[in-house]
Amino acid sequence: MTPPGPGAHRPGAAPFAAAVTGIGLVTAAGTGADAAWRGACGTGAAPSVHHLDELAGLPCDFMYTVTDTDPRGVLGVGALRLMDRFSQLAVIAAREAVADAGLDPTVWDSGRVAVVIGSAHGGLPFYDEQHTTLAERGARRVSPKLAPLTVVNGAASSVAMDLGVHGPSLAVSTACSSGTVAIGTAHQMLRAGACDVVVAGGAESVRSRLLIASACQMRAVSTRRDDPLAACRPFDTHRDGFVVGEGAGLLVLERPEHARARGATVRAHVAGYGASSDAYSAVAPDPGGLGIERALRTALADAGVGAAEVGHVNAHGTSTVANDLIEATMLRRVLGEHPLVTSTKAMTGHTLGAAGGIETALTVLALRHQLVPPTGNLDAPDPAIPVDVVSKEARRGAFDCAVKTSLGFGGHNAALVLTRA
Amino acid sequence: MSTSEEINALLVTRFGTDPGAIRPEVPLRQLRLDSLALEELRLLIEDRMDVDLEDVVLSSRDTLGQLVAAVRSKAGA
Repeated sequence: MTPPGPGAHRPGAAPFAAAVTGIGLVTAAGTGADAAWRGACGTGAAPSVHHLDELAGLPCDFMYTVTDTDPRGVLGVGALRLMDRFSQLAVIAAREAVADAGLDPTVWDSGRVAVVIGSAHGGLPFYDEQHTTLAERGARRVSPKLAPLTVVNGAASSVAMDLGVHGPSLAVSTACSSGTVAIGTAHQMLRAGACDVVVAGGAESVRSRLLIASACQMRAVSTRRDDPLAACRPFDTHRDGFVVGEGAGLLVLERPEHARARGATVRAHVAGYGASSDAYSAVAPDPGGLGIERALRTALADAGVGAAEVGHVNAHGTSTVANDLIEATMLRRVLGEHPLVTSTKAMTGHTLGAAGGIETALTVLALRHQLVPPTGNLDAPDPAIPVDVVSKEARRGAFDCAVKTSLGFGGHNAALVLTRA
Repeated sequence: MSTSEEINALLVTRFGTDPGAIRPEVPLRQLRLDSLALEELRLLIEDRMDVDLEDVVLSSRDTLGQLVAAVRSKAGA
């Protein structure tokens, strides 16, 4: 593969900065943007990471879960029955994001509003449950709701129905980069004039013995069962795999003139997007990091931003041996030594298809607060990691530009460039 | 619990139906029970009341009273 060179992938389209006007977060670090931000910065409640009965006996029997909100109470039983948990979390996050943006779904031009939500696994827990029903009780006891609850577009359609969105709504599924690709897709839709407003990000809940058992077999997840809170440790010498989390992170993005016309408060801009494919492995990242480098260089060129201007990176930083070294080495090569790098996954868990949505939202908040959340559990920084990783406590910075990177199984890479409002 | 009480309880607890809207003469679609909901309700009634409703034809145009009567006929069979 030809190595991606600086500026080699500048798209033909004119620069376009989508306005971020609303944030919605449902995470194990907290529900609601304020609580999640405090959780990510280590100044809120401790992350909710626990042993789960349904994972008992597995080498990894713990997960980050959302425990401070009750979807049944928030959504009501009538709506709840048509959503698996990833869709429920998405609707809660979408309501917050739209309210934060000051938008009123009863009066907006609903045909000009879109929804783009990424998820890797959709309603896998319901699939897992119904497979057990089939095996144990027979075909006549299987729910007729399997398809509507498990399809990956369930979150997008649920949000569209809940908010009364009549523009395009779709799901993006590129494994663990799904949320980032969803926001990038929203950026492209706004740039193309397909809509004025997009609710975009990611949602995931894979509280499933089936999936975690397979992840254990793959040896991709941490087996630090004696101390779940310390198991996810991105960029640490003793990292031994990721820890799965559930959550949803959604942004309201708008065409800048639409946000301006209604006097909306703009939190930040999505200024550039790049995506690429490794064409290398079903699970492992390209060992040279060339795929994610290509995505990042494309995003920088799309935004018209130079490496020197990037002050902060919210990295994919999964806490696997391979990802963290490859990604950090790439970041140093493309951006240099100066950006403040963090991985917020020790606070939220690896939320797979939701990760890009949650972490982009946290990057928007980092730009607003000029504060970089710490990488949790970074007690013994890996000396091979060649970037400035923020650890222990949040660090103040002065930066107008930040980057979010994501890598997904199958070699789906994505990067966003965000700029300060 | 009677058959109608069992079904009414399922409507409230599993479908979020307004208890005030539940009357025998009300068509099921008026209670927001579409074709998917009716199939879900069929399974729930079978599990709860230990009846086999496989050959009962359910339609949203039917009233709640007709549904209760159909279940009663199977329960008594």
